[in-house]
Amino acid sequence: MENLYIPPTNETPEVRFAYSENALHVSGESYPENAMSFYGPIRASLDRYLDTTAGAGHEVEAHFALKYFNSSSTKLIRLLIAMLNGAAAAGRSVVTHWYHDPDDDMMMEFGMDLREEFRMMEVRIVELAAA
Amino acid sequence: MDLASFSHFCTQAAGSGILFYYTGDFSQNVVGAMSDTLRQRLEAVGASGPARRKVFSAFIEMAQNILHYADEAAGGGKRVGALAVGMSGDARFYVLCANPVRVDHVDRIRARLEPLRTMTMDEIKLAYREQLRNAAHDQDEISRGAGLGFLTVAREASEPIEYRITYRSGEAHFAEFQLRAAI
Repeated sequence: MENLYIPPTNETPEVRFAYSENALHVSGESYPENAMSFYGPIRASLDRYLDTTAGAGHEVEAHFALKYFNSSSTKLIRLLIAMLNGAAAAGRSVVTHWYHDPDDDMMMEFGMDLREEFRMMEVRIVELAAA
Repeated sequence: MDLASFSHFCTQAAGSGILFYYTGDFSQNVVGAMSDTLRQRLEAVGASGPARRKVFSAFIEMAQNILHYADEAAGGGKRVGALAVGMSGDARFYVLCANPVRVDHVDRIRARLEPLRTMTMDEIKLAYREQLRNAAHDQDEISRGAGLGFLTVAREASEPIEYRITYRSGEAHFAEFQLRAAI
């Protein structure tokens, strides 16, 4: 399956799903006008990847390093994470890393909420070094 | 506007701590340009990291609320509104927005905002979490994102958010909606 790469823009994050390495990265900021148009294809791609590699047994590593996301992005980012958790529930090994700036309590709390909600996979909250 | 009026306008704005003001039509390009400007302004006045994030977040939610929900018929076919960000005293900020709304949507807006004014921060965070996990509103055109958007503004605010709905005599179809968040 071809890797997915979406370069960052002012309002959308960099999306680098290196399927060949089972490593998924989302970083930057997210406040597109239409979050569904942006995240729809990403969700479809991730769905295909998880579906076609279900039996292969490779651990999936996901990295979310987001500085800001608006309310409509929030729902859709959560859905991506829910999909990863679903894969873990089906027996796949999944580790999700949630990065936040040291003074960004909101981002840290969001990560902790995710960890509390999605228990089938490992969620690691990682504090980034001060800039 | 003549020079005397402009002078008065600038004095008022400066006295109120205005950092940014825009009135006109809203598009994603406009929102993008405004966000860059706002970020520079916040940095220029030395706002802390957390304050900058909260102000920016409230600002984007309000701007995109106008972008998605300001009534086009009231704006001559365009989504129009106004936004302002200012500093009130020591490291405190305020974010304001205004846009026309249909009179028959007013009750719904009140129903969403009034409860937020009496909730504690913990209750707001709980409501936020519930709204986030509830996919039921996705198909509802009128409320698409609106619940989580207002909850986000309430979450960033340091006091209960304030809003006002103003009717103009002779105008039967639209009212003016205004929202204020103190950060």
